[in-house]
Amino acid sequence: MSHDAQPIDKRDPAVRAEIARQFNTRIPHNGAIGLEILDVAGEIIVARLPYREQFLGDPVARLWHTAIGTTAADSTCGLAVLLALPGMETLATLDLRMDYLRPAVADAALIVEAECHHVTTAVAFVRATLHQGERERPTALCTAAFMRTGRSLFQ
Amino acid sequence: MSTAETLRAALAAQDYPRVIAAIPYARYLGLEVAVHDTTRTYCLPFRQDLVGSTKLGALHGGTVAGLLELSMQLDVLIAETQLRLPYPVDFSVDYWRSAASRDLFCRCRLIRSGRRIAQVQAECWQDDPDKPVAFARADFLLRAVDVSAPAPTHR
Repeated sequence: MSHDAQPIDKRDPAVRAEIARQFNTRIPHNGAIGLEILDVAGEIIVARLPYREQFLGDPVARLWHTAIGTTAADSTCGLAVLLALPGMETLATLDLRMDYLRPAVADAALIVEAECHHVTTAVAFVRATLHQGERERPTALCTAAFMRTGRSLFQ
Repeated sequence: MSTAETLRAALAAQDYPRVIAAIPYARYLGLEVAVHDTTRTYCLPFRQDLVGSTKLGALHGGTVAGLLELSMQLDVLIAETQLRLPYPVDFSVDYWRSAASRDLFCRCRLIRSGRRIAQVQAECWQDDPDKPVAFARADFLLRAVDVSAPAPTHR
């Protein structure tokens, strides 16, 4: 019997971890900045961007540039959507908004927690919180919408 | 030299590569500025490690957003001759087309610059400015400048 037509069980933690691993390795820029996927078991997807000197916006005040958080948020939100959809389809970011609540400080990693909270036939909606270890003290909030293309990731 | 002093000297000399060099994240992305008369065009030269999808060869949405946010920030900095980086309050981006494996260009429109807040829009494109890849808007907080420091000479 062929297993080709069998749907992927995205409730299976091992399957989710494998999807996350493949997602991250398929995106060269995620590798370049060193984005790590920490937790994909639940609905909230957690990623971590370890600190690097080259991410600073203000090297004297030693603050992260806000824009690198946007990149980490975009990638993590995309993964949250992929894990929330039934199949494996290509996604396109439609729009993304960041609210920069407080600066992220040097020497500490940036954590992104993303949740895909609503899916329609055409669009998936995501929100994310960025922080440096204390969830209740976010450095930034993100909301984004992704378009579902319907095209398989593997074609 | 402190960041403020480096920025002041570089802005006074209209030495924009040095302004960019003072911002580690802008330097990491490889941002460039070209000035023709009063028009400033920002450029993100293509690099393989900025790609977000190996399959499509498309630039990562985060690097597109990074060019837009940094361009708007630099444009406020240059227009206002601020001695500190204008601090982004919020940022949003609409993705209109996918960005191919080529250089990406950006131009900004300073909508309003008040005492405390500057409001900016930006568009980026690759081959044709009439076919924009993405649009962004952002608000920047203009922080108080050190009053004991001498004013920039080109003001």
